[in-house]
Amino acid sequence: MKNAEGKTRWTVARRVVQVCALVLFCAPLVAAGWGLLGRFGGAQASDAAVATPAEGVFFGSLSSSQVGGVTILDPFAALQVAAAAKAFDPAWLVGALPVLIVYGLIRGRAFCGWVCPVNLVCEAADWVARKLNLRGRDEAGRPSDGARIPRHAKIGVAAAVLVLSALASIPVFEAFSPISAVNKGILFGSAAGLVTLAAVLAAELFWGRRVWCRSLCPLGGFYEVLGRAGLVNVRIDHAACVHCDACSRACLADPEILQPALDGKDAIVRAGDCMACGACVDACPTRALKLGVGRPPRPKAPGGATFGATAPSALGDAAPAVAPRSPHQTASTAPQGGKEGSFRS
Amino acid sequence: MGVRGLIALAAAGAVAAKAAFDASRAEDARATLLHPPGALHDGGFAARCVKCGKCIEACPYQALRAAPFEAGALSGAPAIDARSQACRLCADFPCVAACPTGALAPVGSREQVRMGVAVIDEDLCLSYKAMRCEVCYRACPLIDEAISISYGAREGDSIHAVFAPVVNAEKCTGCGLCVERCVVSEPDCAIRIEPST
Repeated sequence: MKNAEGKTRWTVARRVVQVCALVLFCAPLVAAGWGLLGRFGGAQASDAAVATPAEGVFFGSLSSSQVGGVTILDPFAALQVAAAAKAFDPAWLVGALPVLIVYGLIRGRAFCGWVCPVNLVCEAADWVARKLNLRGRDEAGRPSDGARIPRHAKIGVAAAVLVLSALASIPVFEAFSPISAVNKGILFGSAAGLVTLAAVLAAELFWGRRVWCRSLCPLGGFYEVLGRAGLVNVRIDHAACVHCDACSRACLADPEILQPALDGKDAIVRAGDCMACGACVDACPTRALKLGVGRPPRPKAPGGATFGATAPSALGDAAPAVAPRSPHQTASTAPQGGKEGSFRS
Repeated sequence: MGVRGLIALAAAGAVAAKAAFDASRAEDARATLLHPPGALHDGGFAARCVKCGKCIEACPYQALRAAPFEAGALSGAPAIDARSQACRLCADFPCVAACPTGALAPVGSREQVRMGVAVIDEDLCLSYKAMRCEVCYRACPLIDEAISISYGAREGDSIHAVFAPVVNAEKCTGCGLCVERCVVSEPDCAIRIEPST
């Protein structure tokens, strides 16, 4: 999807995917003639069997679905069930595996950026909060982002959810998830998580920008951990970057994840928190950022590079006692070692 | 603390209060919700159900609904309102087949389903008032096993007989067809299902 200047508009593509993800789960219910919001069945009890959404090739919700007879299971829900039931069933792993592989290969939090309906709702709430200036202004007079909570807090929330699930013997997040409130509210009229959703919206509107998605959502925490291995990454062209900070202001995750790339310390945005949403790419005026496939190794810290360069020379110093080497040989291996040392293999 | 801090505190408080309230009455919710066939007993269902709704989408009689807001931590889990649409005990249990976590465990045959047990309110039941009804008896898919008719003379009455439906708790599946068909509504239905989960 490109605009007039031929620049990729990831946000437009993402909006289409987000809406498609919402519609996708509704389709089987509508196609079977059941309708949404749980408004199916007549007022009178009936002995007549009807066609069901489950008879199609796809049905279910974000927690679990069925694709061509194959069961897909939310891996974080599976973890909660294992904790709550104090049991393990290989079938849960089999069901969770497609999700783990797809998001593991792309990017864990691509779920947050491209699929999660709460992110979509919060983006809308964020837009409203900025337009109406609900979170006040910062020193520069721009709409303030409001409160900030450390982004890794959500990993702690995810761990707490698993501990609580074990203690209460129920999958805790599934009972209070705002994602369920949207997804299964639309599908089945389910009210689970409605209070959490209301609180998330209140926090987004009046307290802190994207505070739920950035810092608190346990599912986001789970996918943040998974996200450390993703192959779809924001790449930076250091030569083109003018350090205007437009990307940091646009970032839907936490702007601090862009810093290593902006400081020239990394070629990609490496943090598991990146949702590959492309907001920074769209915001960049010099096209220094782009979404790319592949994961270049992390450059070593300056200390590590020195170590890489000194190691062979230390060997070279020690070597003559065992087998004499020419100075030329030592000199040629040292820079090579230094070059290798700048990237972790 | 500013207004925004208060709002954040109120939001967090609402979620915490809701969670604490639901936890405090988890037992009540479990005692009132009739879950689908195969639902594990002794809290096993609540421990495994992720509220994905696939059983709801698999029920050809549209008997399964997302449990309402009042169900607390179990809201969103599949529940049967037997009075409006009872479980028909499908031979192949599509709801069980759709369950991804084993919250609904495979059931051998419909006779083995143990969702709950029907309980007759003898004060409301027409049959116990020496009127002929027996609608529940005829509605029961396990007629003469789960519900049978016990007839005898009416106490203190030399003319009328009582044809009283009697539930055999050992045989009753808890499907709720008796509840769906019961002709008594005021002040309440004369038969109800006590969930076994």
